[in-house]
Amino acid sequence: MRKRKRTGWRRYVNGITISTTVTVLFVTLPLYLMLASSFKGAKGIGSAAFYPKDFSTSNYNNAFSQYTFARYILNSVLIAVITTALVLFLSTMAGYALGRLPMRAKLPVMVALLMISVFPAIAVIAPLFLLMKTIHWLNSYQALIVPYTAFNLPFAIWIMRNYMLGIPKEMEETSRIDGAGPLRTLWSIVLPQAKPGLFTAGIFTFTACWTEFLMALSFNSDNNFRTIPVGTALFGSPFTIPYGTIFAASMVAVVPIAILVLIFRKSVVSGLTAGAVKG
Amino acid sequence: MATVIAAPSAPGGPEGSVVEVIGRPDQHRKRMARLGWMFTTPALIFIGAVTLFPIGFAVLLSFENVNVTGSGFQLNGLTTANYSLVFGNSTWHYALAFTLGFTFVTVVIELVLGTMIALVLERLTRGRGWMMALLLIPWSLITVISAKLWAYIYDPTFGIADSILHGLGLGDPTILGTNAGAIIGMIIAEVWKTTPFVAIIVLAGLVMLPQEIYEAADVDGASGWTTFWRVTFPLLRPTLALAVLFRVLQAFGLFDLPFVLTQGGPGHATTSLAVLGYDAMFQNLEFGPGSAVATTTALLVVMGCMLFLKVFKAQVGEEDL
Repeated sequence: MRKRKRTGWRRYVNGITISTTVTVLFVTLPLYLMLASSFKGAKGIGSAAFYPKDFSTSNYNNAFSQYTFARYILNSVLIAVITTALVLFLSTMAGYALGRLPMRAKLPVMVALLMISVFPAIAVIAPLFLLMKTIHWLNSYQALIVPYTAFNLPFAIWIMRNYMLGIPKEMEETSRIDGAGPLRTLWSIVLPQAKPGLFTAGIFTFTACWTEFLMALSFNSDNNFRTIPVGTALFGSPFTIPYGTIFAASMVAVVPIAILVLIFRKSVVSGLTAGAVKG
Repeated sequence: MATVIAAPSAPGGPEGSVVEVIGRPDQHRKRMARLGWMFTTPALIFIGAVTLFPIGFAVLLSFENVNVTGSGFQLNGLTTANYSLVFGNSTWHYALAFTLGFTFVTVVIELVLGTMIALVLERLTRGRGWMMALLLIPWSLITVISAKLWAYIYDPTFGIADSILHGLGLGDPTILGTNAGAIIGMIIAEVWKTTPFVAIIVLAGLVMLPQEIYEAADVDGASGWTTFWRVTFPLLRPTLALAVLFRVLQAFGLFDLPFVLTQGGPGHATTSLAVLGYDAMFQNLEFGPGSAVATTTALLVVMGCMLFLKVFKAQVGEEDL
Protein backbone atom coordinates (compact mmCIF):
# COMPACT_ATOMS: atom_id res chain seq x y z
CA MET A 1 0.00 0.00 0.00
CA ARG A 2 1.21 3.44 -0.88
CA LYS A 3 1.01 6.02 1.81
CA ARG A 4 1.86 9.58 1.01
CA LYS A 5 3.16 11.57 3.96
CA ARG A 6 1.77 15.04 3.90
CA THR A 7 3.64 17.83 5.60
CA GLY A 8 2.84 21.41 6.54
CA TRP A 9 -0.40 22.91 5.31
CA ARG A 10 -0.92 19.99 2.91
CA ARG A 11 -1.83 17.88 5.92
CA TYR A 12 -4.93 19.94 6.49
CA VAL A 13 -5.89 21.05 3.00
CA ASN A 14 -6.92 17.94 1.14
CA GLY A 15 -9.95 16.63 -0.72
CA ILE A 16 -11.71 15.47 2.41
CA THR A 17 -11.42 18.69 4.39
CA ILE A 18 -12.33 20.82 1.38
CA SER A 19 -15.41 18.73 0.61
CA THR A 20 -16.42 18.72 4.26
CA THR A 21 -16.09 22.49 4.42
CA VAL A 22 -18.18 22.91 1.28
CA THR A 23 -20.85 20.63 2.75
CA VAL A 24 -20.89 22.53 6.03
CA LEU A 25 -21.22 25.86 4.20
CA PHE A 26 -23.95 24.47 1.92
CA VAL A 27 -26.01 23.42 4.93
CA THR A 28 -25.30 26.26 7.32
CA LEU A 29 -25.24 29.39 5.13
CA PRO A 30 -29.03 29.57 4.61
CA LEU A 31 -29.56 28.75 8.30
CA TYR A 32 -27.09 31.45 9.30
CA LEU A 33 -28.88 33.91 7.03
CA MET A 34 -32.14 33.16 8.83
CA LEU A 35 -30.52 33.71 12.24
CA ALA A 36 -28.79 36.93 11.12
CA SER A 37 -31.92 38.31 9.46
CA SER A 38 -34.03 37.69 12.54
CA PHE A 39 -31.88 40.34 14.27
CA LYS A 40 -32.05 42.84 11.40
CA GLY A 41 -33.96 46.04 12.03
CA ALA A 42 -36.52 47.61 9.73
CA LYS A 43 -33.81 48.94 7.42
CA GLY A 44 -31.53 45.93 7.45
CA ILE A 45 -34.22 43.44 6.53
CA GLY A 46 -34.63 45.25 3.20
CA SER A 47 -30.97 44.79 2.29
CA ALA A 48 -28.95 41.89 0.99
CA ALA A 49 -26.55 42.01 3.95
CA PHE A 50 -25.07 38.88 5.48
CA TYR A 51 -25.09 40.37 8.97
CA PRO A 52 -27.47 42.69 10.86
CA LYS A 53 -26.00 46.17 10.51
CA ASP A 54 -28.79 47.61 12.65
CA PHE A 55 -28.91 44.89 15.31
CA SER A 56 -32.28 44.79 17.04
CA THR A 57 -34.49 42.31 18.87
CA SER A 58 -37.70 44.07 17.85
CA ASN A 59 -38.60 41.19 15.50
CA TYR A 60 -38.81 38.86 18.47
CA ASN A 61 -41.05 41.28 20.33
CA ASN A 62 -43.27 41.74 17.29
CA ALA A 63 -43.77 38.01 16.77
CA PHE A 64 -45.31 37.75 20.22
CA SER A 65 -46.99 41.14 20.58
CA GLN A 66 -48.20 42.15 17.10
CA TYR A 67 -48.80 38.60 15.96
CA THR A 68 -50.30 35.73 17.95
CA PHE A 69 -47.26 33.56 17.58
CA ALA A 70 -47.45 32.36 21.20
CA ARG A 71 -50.84 30.86 20.37
CA TYR A 72 -49.41 28.98 17.36
CA ILE A 73 -46.64 27.54 19.53
CA LEU A 74 -49.15 26.46 22.16
CA ASN A 75 -51.31 24.79 19.50
CA SER A 76 -48.35 23.02 17.92
CA VAL A 77 -47.04 21.79 21.27
CA LEU A 78 -50.45 20.54 22.43
CA ILE A 79 -51.17 18.73 19.17
CA ALA A 80 -47.68 17.24 18.84
CA VAL A 81 -47.49 16.06 22.46
CA ILE A 82 -50.95 14.47 22.56
CA THR A 83 -50.43 12.82 19.17
CA THR A 84 -47.03 11.46 20.16
CA ALA A 85 -48.45 10.02 23.40
CA LEU A 86 -51.33 8.37 21.52
CA VAL A 87 -49.05 6.98 18.82
CA LEU A 88 -46.59 5.55 21.35
CA PHE A 89 -49.36 3.91 23.38
CA LEU A 90 -51.16 2.37 20.40
CA SER A 91 -48.01 1.35 18.52
CA THR A 92 -46.50 -0.32 21.59
CA MET A 93 -49.55 -2.55 21.97
CA ALA A 94 -49.86 -3.28 18.27
CA GLY A 95 -46.12 -3.71 17.80
CA TYR A 96 -45.99 -6.16 20.72
CA ALA A 97 -48.87 -8.18 19.31
CA LEU A 98 -47.50 -8.21 15.76
CA GLY A 99 -43.97 -8.93 16.91
CA ARG A 100 -44.46 -11.49 19.65
CA LEU A 101 -47.95 -12.93 19.89
CA PRO A 102 -49.06 -15.92 17.81
CA MET A 103 -51.58 -14.12 15.61
CA ARG A 104 -52.57 -15.17 12.16
CA ALA A 105 -52.54 -12.79 9.19
CA LYS A 106 -49.63 -10.82 10.62
CA LEU A 107 -47.95 -10.42 7.25
CA PRO A 108 -51.00 -8.99 5.45
CA VAL A 109 -51.47 -6.49 8.29
CA MET A 110 -47.82 -5.39 8.12
CA VAL A 111 -47.91 -5.06 4.33
CA ALA A 112 -51.18 -3.12 4.49
CA LEU A 113 -49.61 -0.75 7.02
CA LEU A 114 -46.65 -0.23 4.70
CA MET A 115 -48.93 0.57 1.76
CA ILE A 116 -51.00 3.01 3.82
CA SER A 117 -47.90 4.83 5.00
CA VAL A 118 -46.95 5.77 1.41
CA PHE A 119 -50.32 7.32 0.61
CA PRO A 120 -50.01 11.06 -0.12
CA ALA A 121 -51.98 13.22 2.32
CA ILE A 122 -53.66 15.09 -0.55
CA ALA A 123 -55.68 11.92 -1.27
CA VAL A 124 -57.59 12.11 2.02
CA ILE A 125 -57.92 15.88 2.37
CA ALA A 126 -61.27 16.19 0.57
CA PRO A 127 -63.15 13.38 2.32
CA LEU A 128 -61.73 14.25 5.75
CA PHE A 129 -62.59 17.92 5.23
CA LEU A 130 -66.20 17.10 4.30
CA LEU A 131 -66.55 14.60 7.16
CA MET A 132 -65.15 17.05 9.69
CA LYS A 133 -67.38 19.79 8.34
CA THR A 134 -70.38 17.52 8.89
CA ILE A 135 -69.49 16.59 12.46
CA HIS A 136 -68.26 20.15 13.26
CA TRP A 137 -64.65 19.17 13.86
CA LEU A 138 -63.08 21.85 11.67
CA ASN A 139 -61.00 24.32 13.74
CA SER A 140 -60.39 22.07 16.70
CA TYR A 141 -57.46 20.17 18.19
CA GLN A 142 -58.93 16.76 17.40
CA ALA A 143 -59.16 17.76 13.71
CA LEU A 144 -55.38 17.38 13.61
CA ILE A 145 -54.67 14.98 16.48
CA VAL A 146 -56.79 12.18 15.00
CA PRO A 147 -55.36 12.25 11.44
CA TYR A 148 -51.80 12.81 12.69
CA THR A 149 -52.13 9.79 14.96
CA ALA A 150 -53.42 7.63 12.12
CA PHE A 151 -50.77 8.77 9.64
CA ASN A 152 -47.88 8.25 12.05
CA LEU A 153 -49.05 4.90 13.46
CA PRO A 154 -47.91 2.63 10.56
CA PHE A 155 -44.26 3.68 10.80
CA ALA A 156 -44.34 3.58 14.62
CA ILE A 157 -45.85 0.09 14.60
CA TRP A 158 -43.13 -1.12 12.21
CA ILE A 159 -40.40 0.36 14.40
CA MET A 160 -41.85 -1.04 17.64
CA ARG A 161 -42.36 -4.45 16.08
CA ASN A 162 -38.78 -4.58 14.82
CA TYR A 163 -37.40 -3.72 18.25
CA MET A 164 -39.68 -6.21 19.99
CA LEU A 165 -38.64 -8.99 17.62
CA GLY A 166 -35.09 -8.59 18.88
CA ILE A 167 -35.90 -9.18 22.57
CA PRO A 168 -35.00 -12.69 23.79
CA LYS A 169 -38.06 -14.83 24.27
CA GLU A 170 -36.76 -16.39 27.50
CA MET A 171 -37.21 -13.20 29.52
CA GLU A 172 -40.84 -13.04 28.64
CA GLU A 173 -41.38 -16.71 29.42
CA THR A 174 -39.69 -16.42 32.79
CA SER A 175 -41.99 -13.57 33.67
CA ARG A 176 -44.99 -15.60 32.56
CA ILE A 177 -43.95 -18.54 34.73
CA ASP A 178 -43.64 -16.14 37.63
CA GLY A 179 -47.34 -15.56 37.18
CA ALA A 180 -47.30 -12.13 35.51
CA GLY A 181 -50.14 -11.41 33.10
CA PRO A 182 -49.50 -10.35 29.52
CA LEU A 183 -50.03 -6.65 30.20
CA ARG A 184 -47.68 -6.81 33.17
CA THR A 185 -45.11 -8.64 31.06
CA LEU A 186 -45.39 -6.05 28.31
CA TRP A 187 -45.04 -3.18 30.75
CA SER A 188 -42.21 -4.40 32.97
CA ILE A 189 -40.23 -6.81 30.79
CA VAL A 190 -40.71 -5.99 27.11
CA LEU A 191 -41.12 -2.21 27.17
CA PRO A 192 -37.84 -1.39 28.96
CA GLN A 193 -36.02 -3.44 26.32
CA ALA A 194 -37.82 -1.64 23.50
CA LYS A 195 -36.94 1.82 24.81
CA PRO A 196 -34.80 2.81 21.79
CA GLY A 197 -37.81 2.02 19.60
CA LEU A 198 -39.97 4.34 21.71
CA PHE A 199 -37.45 7.16 21.26
CA THR A 200 -37.29 6.66 17.50
CA ALA A 201 -41.05 6.40 17.02
CA GLY A 202 -41.58 9.33 19.39
CA ILE A 203 -39.14 11.75 17.78
CA PHE A 204 -40.40 10.91 14.27
CA THR A 205 -44.03 11.43 15.25
CA PHE A 206 -43.26 14.66 17.07
CA THR A 207 -41.26 16.06 14.13
CA ALA A 208 -43.95 15.04 11.65
CA CYS A 209 -46.65 16.83 13.71
CA TRP A 210 -44.43 19.86 14.19
CA THR A 211 -43.79 20.28 10.44
CA GLU A 212 -47.08 19.11 8.86
CA PHE A 213 -48.71 21.78 6.71
CA LEU A 214 -51.36 20.53 4.26
CA MET A 215 -53.86 19.13 6.78
CA ALA A 216 -53.28 21.92 9.28
CA LEU A 217 -53.94 24.46 6.51
CA SER A 218 -57.07 22.69 5.27
CA PHE A 219 -58.73 21.78 8.56
CA ASN A 220 -57.75 24.59 10.95
CA SER A 221 -58.03 27.93 9.16
CA ASP A 222 -59.22 29.80 12.28
CA ASN A 223 -56.40 31.89 13.76
CA ASN A 224 -56.97 30.39 17.21
CA PHE A 225 -56.24 26.87 16.00
CA ARG A 226 -53.39 27.52 13.57
CA THR A 227 -50.17 25.60 14.11
CA ILE A 228 -46.68 27.06 13.60
CA PRO A 229 -46.36 26.14 9.89
CA VAL A 230 -49.78 27.59 9.01
CA GLY A 231 -49.24 30.68 11.14
CA THR A 232 -45.85 31.24 9.49
CA ALA A 233 -47.16 30.71 5.97
CA LEU A 234 -50.04 33.16 6.45
CA PHE A 235 -48.00 35.81 8.28
CA GLY A 236 -48.41 39.31 6.87
CA SER A 237 -50.08 40.05 3.56
CA PRO A 238 -49.09 39.18 -0.01
CA PHE A 239 -47.79 42.73 -0.47
CA THR A 240 -45.75 43.22 2.68
CA ILE A 241 -44.11 40.12 4.02
CA PRO A 242 -42.59 40.86 7.44
CA TYR A 243 -39.50 38.69 6.92
CA GLY A 244 -37.78 39.85 10.10
CA THR A 245 -40.73 38.78 12.24
CA ILE A 246 -41.09 35.53 10.30
CA PHE A 247 -37.45 34.62 10.89
CA ALA A 248 -37.59 35.58 14.56
CA ALA A 249 -40.65 33.37 14.98
CA SER A 250 -38.95 30.65 12.91
CA MET A 251 -35.91 30.64 15.16
CA VAL A 252 -38.19 30.16 18.17
CA ALA A 253 -39.91 27.27 16.37
CA VAL A 254 -36.77 25.68 14.95
CA VAL A 255 -34.33 25.79 17.87
CA PRO A 256 -36.26 23.53 20.31
CA ILE A 257 -36.88 20.84 17.69
CA ALA A 258 -33.29 21.07 16.47
CA ILE A 259 -32.03 20.55 20.04
CA LEU A 260 -34.43 17.64 20.46
CA VAL A 261 -33.20 16.07 17.22
CA LEU A 262 -29.56 16.58 18.21
CA ILE A 263 -30.11 14.99 21.63
CA PHE A 264 -31.88 12.00 20.08
CA ARG A 265 -29.76 11.93 16.93
CA LYS A 266 -28.91 8.24 17.35
CA SER A 267 -32.63 7.39 17.48
CA VAL A 268 -33.31 9.58 14.46
CA VAL A 269 -30.56 8.01 12.38
CA SER A 270 -31.67 4.51 13.35
CA GLY A 271 -35.21 5.43 12.30
CA LEU A 272 -34.08 6.93 9.01
CA THR A 273 -32.06 3.85 8.21
CA ALA A 274 -34.56 1.31 9.57
CA GLY A 275 -35.84 0.72 6.06
CA ALA A 276 -32.36 0.53 4.59
CA VAL A 277 -31.20 -1.98 7.18
CA LYS A 278 -34.28 -4.13 7.52
CA GLY A 279 -35.46 -4.11 3.93
CA MET B 1 -60.70 -13.26 14.47
CA ALA B 2 -58.06 -15.91 14.85
CA THR B 3 -59.07 -19.45 14.21
CA VAL B 4 -57.84 -22.49 16.08
CA ILE B 5 -54.37 -23.46 15.09
CA ALA B 6 -53.79 -27.18 14.85
CA ALA B 7 -52.55 -28.26 18.26
CA PRO B 8 -49.25 -30.08 18.40
CA SER B 9 -49.90 -33.64 19.46
CA ALA B 10 -47.00 -33.85 21.86
CA PRO B 11 -46.20 -31.42 24.63
CA GLY B 12 -43.38 -29.07 23.84
CA GLY B 13 -44.76 -27.77 20.57
CA PRO B 14 -43.74 -24.51 18.95
CA GLU B 15 -43.78 -22.64 22.23
CA GLY B 16 -41.12 -24.87 23.79
CA SER B 17 -41.22 -26.63 27.11
CA VAL B 18 -42.56 -23.69 29.06
CA VAL B 19 -46.05 -24.10 27.72
CA GLU B 20 -46.51 -27.23 29.82
CA VAL B 21 -46.53 -25.02 32.87
CA ILE B 22 -49.13 -22.66 31.44
CA GLY B 23 -51.68 -25.21 30.32
CA ARG B 24 -52.61 -26.92 27.11
CA PRO B 25 -50.61 -25.40 24.26
CA ASP B 26 -53.51 -24.93 21.86
CA GLN B 27 -55.62 -23.15 24.47
CA HIS B 28 -52.81 -20.91 25.50
CA ARG B 29 -52.00 -20.13 21.89
CA LYS B 30 -55.59 -19.28 21.16
CA ARG B 31 -55.78 -16.99 24.16
CA MET B 32 -52.59 -15.26 23.12
CA ALA B 33 -53.82 -14.81 19.55
CA ARG B 34 -57.04 -13.25 20.83
CA LEU B 35 -54.99 -10.97 23.05
CA GLY B 36 -52.92 -10.04 20.02
CA TRP B 37 -55.97 -8.86 18.14
CA MET B 38 -57.18 -6.99 21.21
CA PHE B 39 -53.86 -5.16 21.30
CA THR B 40 -53.84 -4.45 17.56
CA THR B 41 -57.47 -3.45 17.00
CA PRO B 42 -57.36 0.08 18.52
CA ALA B 43 -54.50 1.07 16.23
CA LEU B 44 -56.14 -0.53 13.21
CA ILE B 45 -59.45 1.24 13.90
CA PHE B 46 -57.62 4.58 14.09
CA ILE B 47 -55.76 3.95 10.85
CA GLY B 48 -58.78 2.56 9.04
CA ALA B 49 -61.04 5.45 10.08
CA VAL B 50 -58.63 8.15 8.95
CA THR B 51 -56.99 6.53 5.93
CA LEU B 52 -58.81 3.56 4.41
CA PHE B 53 -62.34 4.83 4.84
CA PRO B 54 -61.56 8.34 3.51
CA ILE B 55 -59.65 6.88 0.56
CA GLY B 56 -62.76 4.94 -0.38
CA PHE B 57 -64.83 8.07 0.14
CA ALA B 58 -62.39 10.07 -2.00
CA VAL B 59 -62.86 7.63 -4.87
CA LEU B 60 -66.63 8.03 -4.49
CA LEU B 61 -66.30 11.83 -4.40
CA SER B 62 -64.24 11.76 -7.57
CA PHE B 63 -67.24 10.17 -9.32
CA GLU B 64 -69.78 12.52 -7.74
CA ASN B 65 -71.28 15.85 -8.46
CA VAL B 66 -70.33 17.47 -5.14
CA ASN B 67 -71.94 20.64 -3.87
CA VAL B 68 -70.41 22.24 -0.78
CA THR B 69 -72.97 24.20 1.20
CA GLY B 70 -72.68 26.42 4.23
CA SER B 71 -73.33 23.69 6.77
CA GLY B 72 -72.16 20.59 4.94
CA PHE B 73 -72.22 19.14 1.45
CA GLN B 74 -74.54 17.42 -1.03
CA LEU B 75 -73.86 14.63 -3.45
CA ASN B 76 -75.91 15.11 -6.60
CA GLY B 77 -75.48 11.86 -8.42
CA LEU B 78 -72.78 9.77 -10.04
CA THR B 79 -70.85 11.18 -12.95
CA THR B 80 -67.61 10.69 -14.82
CA ALA B 81 -67.51 14.38 -15.65
CA ASN B 82 -64.83 15.06 -13.02
CA TYR B 83 -62.39 12.73 -14.71
CA SER B 84 -63.11 13.91 -18.23
CA LEU B 85 -62.70 17.48 -16.96
CA VAL B 86 -59.37 16.63 -15.34
CA PHE B 87 -57.97 14.44 -18.12
CA GLY B 88 -58.86 17.02 -20.75
CA ASN B 89 -57.43 19.91 -18.77
CA SER B 90 -54.13 21.35 -19.97
CA THR B 91 -53.26 22.59 -16.46
CA TRP B 92 -53.51 19.01 -15.19
CA HIS B 93 -51.32 17.80 -18.06
CA TYR B 94 -48.76 20.41 -17.12
CA ALA B 95 -49.00 19.68 -13.37
CA LEU B 96 -48.49 15.96 -14.04
CA ALA B 97 -45.47 16.60 -16.28
CA PHE B 98 -44.10 19.15 -13.80
CA THR B 99 -44.48 16.84 -10.80
CA LEU B 100 -42.84 13.93 -12.64
CA GLY B 101 -40.03 16.10 -13.99
CA PHE B 102 -39.41 17.87 -10.69
CA THR B 103 -39.36 14.54 -8.84
CA PHE B 104 -36.94 13.03 -11.35
CA VAL B 105 -34.52 15.96 -11.46
CA THR B 106 -34.43 16.61 -7.71
CA VAL B 107 -34.06 12.92 -6.81
CA VAL B 108 -31.17 12.46 -9.28
CA ILE B 109 -29.36 15.56 -7.95
CA GLU B 110 -29.97 14.56 -4.34
CA LEU B 111 -28.73 11.05 -4.99
CA VAL B 112 -25.49 12.21 -6.61
CA LEU B 113 -24.82 14.95 -4.04
CA GLY B 114 -25.95 12.81 -1.11
CA THR B 115 -23.68 9.94 -2.16
CA MET B 116 -20.74 12.31 -2.58
CA ILE B 117 -21.31 13.79 0.88
CA ALA B 118 -21.66 10.31 2.40
CA LEU B 119 -18.41 9.13 0.77
CA VAL B 120 -16.59 12.15 2.19
CA LEU B 121 -18.09 11.76 5.66
CA GLU B 122 -17.20 8.07 5.72
CA ARG B 123 -13.51 8.94 5.34
CA LEU B 124 -13.75 11.61 8.01
CA THR B 125 -11.81 10.43 11.02
CA ARG B 126 -13.01 13.03 13.47
CA GLY B 127 -16.28 14.90 13.90
CA ARG B 128 -18.48 12.50 11.94
CA GLY B 129 -21.10 12.58 14.71
CA TRP B 130 -21.23 16.37 14.52
CA MET B 131 -21.61 16.28 10.76
CA MET B 132 -24.51 13.83 11.08
CA ALA B 133 -26.11 16.15 13.62
CA LEU B 134 -25.65 19.10 11.27
CA LEU B 135 -27.26 17.20 8.40
CA LEU B 136 -30.29 16.45 10.56
CA ILE B 137 -31.13 20.13 10.98
CA PRO B 138 -32.48 20.74 7.44
CA TRP B 139 -34.35 17.43 7.71
CA SER B 140 -36.12 18.57 10.90
CA LEU B 141 -36.80 22.08 9.60
CA ILE B 142 -40.41 23.04 8.92
CA THR B 143 -40.72 23.13 5.11
CA VAL B 144 -42.84 26.28 5.28
CA ILE B 145 -40.01 28.04 7.13
CA SER B 146 -37.37 26.91 4.63
CA ALA B 147 -39.67 28.09 1.81
CA LYS B 148 -39.93 31.55 3.45
CA LEU B 149 -36.16 31.58 3.86
CA TRP B 150 -35.63 30.88 0.15
CA ALA B 151 -38.28 33.45 -0.77
CA TYR B 152 -36.17 35.98 1.15
CA ILE B 153 -33.00 34.82 -0.62
CA TYR B 154 -34.69 35.11 -4.03
CA ASP B 155 -36.41 38.43 -3.34
CA PRO B 156 -36.06 40.68 -6.42
CA THR B 157 -35.19 43.84 -4.49
CA PHE B 158 -33.14 42.74 -1.46
CA GLY B 159 -32.45 39.04 -2.01
CA ILE B 160 -28.92 37.70 -1.58
CA ALA B 161 -29.24 35.54 -4.70
CA ASP B 162 -30.28 38.60 -6.65
CA SER B 163 -27.28 40.63 -5.51
CA ILE B 164 -24.93 37.71 -6.24
CA LEU B 165 -26.28 37.41 -9.79
CA HIS B 166 -25.98 41.16 -10.14
CA GLY B 167 -22.40 41.04 -8.89
CA LEU B 168 -21.59 38.38 -11.48
CA GLY B 169 -22.80 40.77 -14.15
CA LEU B 170 -25.89 38.77 -14.99
CA GLY B 171 -28.23 41.71 -14.68
CA ASP B 172 -31.19 41.82 -12.30
CA PRO B 173 -33.35 38.82 -13.06
CA THR B 174 -36.52 38.47 -11.01
CA ILE B 175 -35.74 34.87 -10.09
CA LEU B 176 -39.23 33.76 -9.10
CA GLY B 177 -40.83 35.92 -11.80
CA THR B 178 -39.80 33.77 -14.75
CA ASN B 179 -40.82 30.16 -15.39
CA ALA B 180 -37.28 28.83 -15.61
CA GLY B 181 -36.09 30.93 -12.67
CA ALA B 182 -38.94 29.78 -10.43
CA ILE B 183 -38.41 26.11 -11.32
CA ILE B 184 -34.63 26.26 -10.81
CA GLY B 185 -35.08 28.23 -7.60
CA MET B 186 -37.47 25.63 -6.27
CA ILE B 187 -35.14 22.78 -7.24
CA ILE B 188 -32.31 24.42 -5.28
CA ALA B 189 -34.54 24.93 -2.23
CA GLU B 190 -35.73 21.31 -2.38
CA VAL B 191 -32.22 19.91 -2.90
CA TRP B 192 -30.92 21.95 0.05
CA LYS B 193 -33.54 20.58 2.40
CA THR B 194 -33.54 16.91 1.38
CA THR B 195 -30.00 16.05 0.25
CA PRO B 196 -28.91 15.65 3.91
CA PHE B 197 -31.58 12.96 4.33
CA VAL B 198 -30.16 11.00 1.37
CA ALA B 199 -26.60 11.51 2.66
CA ILE B 200 -27.49 10.06 6.07
CA ILE B 201 -29.15 6.97 4.59
CA VAL B 202 -26.25 6.36 2.18
CA LEU B 203 -23.69 6.89 4.93
CA ALA B 204 -25.44 4.29 7.10
CA GLY B 205 -25.31 1.89 4.16
CA LEU B 206 -21.62 2.63 3.52
CA VAL B 207 -20.61 2.02 7.11
CA MET B 208 -22.14 -1.45 6.99
CA LEU B 209 -20.17 -2.59 3.93
CA PRO B 210 -17.47 -5.17 4.72
CA GLN B 211 -14.02 -3.54 4.90
CA GLU B 212 -12.15 -6.58 3.55
CA ILE B 213 -13.52 -5.97 0.07
CA TYR B 214 -11.90 -2.54 -0.01
CA GLU B 215 -8.60 -3.98 1.14
CA ALA B 216 -8.81 -6.58 -1.61
CA ALA B 217 -9.55 -3.90 -4.20
CA ASP B 218 -6.64 -1.85 -2.89
CA VAL B 219 -4.27 -4.81 -3.12
CA ASP B 220 -5.45 -5.37 -6.68
CA GLY B 221 -4.42 -1.80 -7.39
CA ALA B 222 -7.89 -0.54 -8.26
CA SER B 223 -8.21 3.22 -8.43
CA GLY B 224 -10.71 5.06 -6.25
CA TRP B 225 -13.01 5.58 -9.21
CA THR B 226 -12.94 1.90 -10.23
CA THR B 227 -13.43 0.80 -6.64
CA PHE B 228 -16.51 2.98 -6.35
CA TRP B 229 -18.18 1.76 -9.53
CA ARG B 230 -17.12 -1.88 -9.28
CA VAL B 231 -17.31 -2.48 -5.53
CA THR B 232 -19.12 0.21 -3.57
CA PHE B 233 -21.94 1.02 -5.96
CA PRO B 234 -23.19 -2.56 -6.54
CA LEU B 235 -23.11 -3.31 -2.81
CA LEU B 236 -24.83 -0.04 -2.03
CA ARG B 237 -27.60 -0.52 -4.55
CA PRO B 238 -30.30 -1.73 -2.11
CA THR B 239 -29.62 1.27 0.16
CA LEU B 240 -29.71 3.69 -2.76
CA ALA B 241 -32.92 2.09 -4.03
CA LEU B 242 -34.62 2.64 -0.69
CA ALA B 243 -33.41 6.22 -0.48
CA VAL B 244 -34.84 6.78 -3.95
CA LEU B 245 -38.15 5.19 -2.98
CA PHE B 246 -38.56 7.40 0.10
CA ARG B 247 -37.63 10.53 -1.80
CA VAL B 248 -39.79 9.80 -4.85
CA LEU B 249 -42.84 9.13 -2.69
CA GLN B 250 -42.30 12.35 -0.80
CA ALA B 251 -41.47 14.49 -3.83
CA PHE B 252 -44.56 13.27 -5.63
CA GLY B 253 -46.76 14.74 -2.90
CA LEU B 254 -44.92 18.09 -3.26
CA PHE B 255 -47.10 20.80 -1.75
CA ASP B 256 -45.57 22.95 1.03
CA LEU B 257 -42.68 24.36 -0.99
CA PRO B 258 -44.57 25.60 -4.10
CA PHE B 259 -47.55 26.74 -2.00
CA VAL B 260 -45.38 29.08 0.07
CA LEU B 261 -42.49 29.92 -2.27
CA THR B 262 -44.23 30.50 -5.60
CA GLN B 263 -47.98 29.88 -5.02
CA GLY B 264 -47.67 27.59 -8.04
CA GLY B 265 -46.63 30.46 -10.26
CA PRO B 266 -45.70 32.36 -12.26
CA GLY B 267 -48.84 31.31 -14.08
CA HIS B 268 -48.90 27.57 -13.49
CA ALA B 269 -45.16 27.06 -13.90
CA THR B 270 -44.65 25.43 -10.48
CA THR B 271 -48.13 23.98 -9.93
CA SER B 272 -47.68 20.42 -8.64
CA LEU B 273 -50.50 17.87 -8.62
CA ALA B 274 -51.08 18.42 -4.90
CA VAL B 275 -51.21 22.21 -5.33
CA LEU B 276 -53.65 21.80 -8.23
CA GLY B 277 -55.88 19.48 -6.18
CA TYR B 278 -55.77 21.81 -3.18
CA ASP B 279 -56.60 24.87 -5.30
CA ALA B 280 -59.50 23.09 -6.97
CA MET B 281 -60.94 22.12 -3.61
CA PHE B 282 -60.24 25.10 -1.39
CA GLN B 283 -59.97 28.03 -3.80
CA ASN B 284 -62.76 27.04 -6.19
CA LEU B 285 -64.70 24.66 -3.90
CA GLU B 286 -64.72 22.08 -6.69
CA PHE B 287 -64.51 18.96 -4.55
CA GLY B 288 -65.44 16.56 -7.35
CA PRO B 289 -62.64 17.52 -9.75
CA GLY B 290 -60.30 18.10 -6.81
CA SER B 291 -60.93 14.55 -5.62
CA ALA B 292 -60.32 13.26 -9.14
CA VAL B 293 -56.90 14.97 -9.13
CA ALA B 294 -56.11 13.64 -5.65
CA THR B 295 -57.26 10.11 -6.48
CA THR B 296 -55.21 9.87 -9.68
CA THR B 297 -52.17 11.20 -7.78
CA ALA B 298 -52.60 8.54 -5.09
CA LEU B 299 -53.10 5.85 -7.73
CA LEU B 300 -49.88 6.89 -9.48
CA VAL B 301 -48.01 6.74 -6.16
CA VAL B 302 -49.30 3.25 -5.35
CA MET B 303 -48.59 1.99 -8.88
CA GLY B 304 -45.09 3.45 -8.80
CA CYS B 305 -44.49 1.89 -5.40
CA MET B 306 -45.62 -1.57 -6.52
CA LEU B 307 -43.57 -1.39 -9.69
CA PHE B 308 -40.56 -0.37 -7.64
CA LEU B 309 -41.00 -3.23 -5.17
CA LYS B 310 -41.25 -5.68 -8.07
CA VAL B 311 -38.05 -4.43 -9.69
CA PHE B 312 -36.36 -4.21 -6.31
CA LYS B 313 -37.34 -7.77 -5.37
CA ALA B 314 -36.05 -9.06 -8.69
CA GLN B 315 -32.75 -7.28 -8.05
CA VAL B 316 -31.94 -8.15 -4.47
CA GLY B 317 -33.93 -11.34 -4.05
CA GLU B 318 -36.91 -12.00 -1.86
CA GLU B 319 -35.19 -12.81 1.41
CA ASP B 320 -35.19 -9.22 2.58
CA LEU B 321 -38.85 -8.53 2.08
